Amino acid sequence: MSTADKKIGANARFVWTSWKANLASAMEYRLSFLLLAGMMFVNNFIWLFFWRLFFERFPVVQGWDLRDVMLLWAVSTAGFGWAAMLFGNFSRIAGIVAGGQLDVYLTQPRPVLLSVLVSRCSVTAAGDFVFGIVVYLMVGDLSPRGMMLFALALLVSGLLFISVMVIVGCSAFWIGNAEGMTQQAFGSFIALTTYPSDIFRGLAKAALFTIIPAGFISYMPIGMLKSFDPGFAATATGVAAGLTLAAALLFRFGLRRYASGNTIAMRS
Amino acid sequence: MSEARGRWAFARRPAGARWASAGRKAAAVGRIAFRHQLAYKTDFALRGFFLLFILFVFIQLWSAAYGGDFEKVISGFTLKQIVWYLVFTEALTLAAPPVCSRIEEEVKNGDVAIRLVRPQSYLNYHFSVFSSEALTRFAVHLAVGSAIAWPFVGPPDFGYGWFGLLALSAGALTVTFLLLMLVGLCAFWVEETSGLYFVLQKLQFTIGGMLLPIDLMPEWLQRVCAWLPFQAALYFPARMGVQFDGELLTRQLAIQAAWIAVLAIAVNRMYRRGVTKLHVNGG
Repeated sequence: MSTADKKIGANARFVWTSWKANLASAMEYRLSFLLLAGMMFVNNFIWLFFWRLFFERFPVVQGWDLRDVMLLWAVSTAGFGWAAMLFGNFSRIAGIVAGGQLDVYLTQPRPVLLSVLVSRCSVTAAGDFVFGIVVYLMVGDLSPRGMMLFALALLVSGLLFISVMVIVGCSAFWIGNAEGMTQQAFGSFIALTTYPSDIFRGLAKAALFTIIPAGFISYMPIGMLKSFDPGFAATATGVAAGLTLAAALLFRFGLRRYASGNTIAMRS
Repeated sequence: MSEARGRWAFARRPAGARWASAGRKAAAVGRIAFRHQLAYKTDFALRGFFLLFILFVFIQLWSAAYGGDFEKVISGFTLKQIVWYLVFTEALTLAAPPVCSRIEEEVKNGDVAIRLVRPQSYLNYHFSVFSSEALTRFAVHLAVGSAIAWPFVGPPDFGYGWFGLLALSAGALTVTFLLLMLVGLCAFWVEETSGLYFVLQKLQFTIGGMLLPIDLMPEWLQRVCAWLPFQAALYFPARMGVQFDGELLTRQLAIQAAWIAVLAIAVNRMYRRGVTKLHVNGG
């Protein structure tokens, strides 16, 4: 076995162990876990209730009907769900950098970004993930092909959530306290992935597929699940992979500028 | 003896003097809360950005739903009225400071002990802070919301609409405060109130008419909404802002007053019961 293979194997074991530890930690407060996850499920359900009321009054908007919006919520919530359960710190990079909390990860013999990302599991995200799966089971295509496309859609959307937020979070390496700004970006990006992409026109629509790539998630029900468009599927997958690579490189580059604040911190 | 007489005299002060004193304290706390807010300009700017962003998304959504037709009327609303309605509901929603989380924090870290020994009622203190912050935020959010709605759908020329909006907004914010207090005071029993707050927030979003005017909802749901306090907090002022109706205004003011009375009694009872459950160690 080559050194590279050994390194990959060790990192995979590290990630697996971190996930098991996160799960055990969440299960320590089982009732709290169920309440928080259940609360997120109810929250998403109320949003779908709004959309139901909306489509009762306007049955088709720019070619989108209620089923399409339900699929959109399935992709967005389940994609976000797996990403935040397994790599829960992706939305907190700015705070970790600005607060000098990277020190604790720098001392470990593992890739820093990977170590930061896997050290937290978002409990509420479990509710998002289950919600997305339940909604897909209600309105999605349950054939093997349909399920595979849904799995690909979830992979792409999860990677987009992680990479975009890591890129935005890296701004803290240059501008310091960027927590407020990244939280706004986080909220706005999530919001954009839950509205049909076709309601936007002109520059706004162009921005959705370039500088704020939320359109690759919000167009998923039409471009990948309803009628498979190979061009869109390939572009979305390529963009997700490219942004993931870009996020890792930007973090590595930004890390050179990191200055410790001598904060005494513990991994929790 | 003279000291005891002095204390007795203080306790027996006429009701008018006590009310005046409470009013002065409330005004002083309100002034401090106002100045406190001015120190957090970044916070204002971030909320303003979020309001602009979310209103932009709503404008796109409703423009698509109306097919860009400014003349079309659906359930009594034109596109312009819908957009301004959303500006008003969003301005009111984002005006409310996070009372629940503040009470929760006070209970968790023991600060509640300091609040309780102050010479001002705990509920009045929070109401003074809430009113000051909410009114300032509401004014700022109206200005920010207008900045995006005006270029897209035109000016808010709804006759006496602005008068109706402002007349109902004070009551609407009071109803919001009381609903938030009902949830926040649960912290005296359970400490963690974020779940309940989440549910309350989503109820306001949907059956409170924040995202969709109640007139556009199915009839059965409109009947349900009529029996709940949420419409008095958002729907009443926002609808009156875009469709002024003098007779309806009087009725809605009366409904708001009734809800304020009912909720104030509930909050007061809950506080009296909750405060006896409280154990503060150290601090």
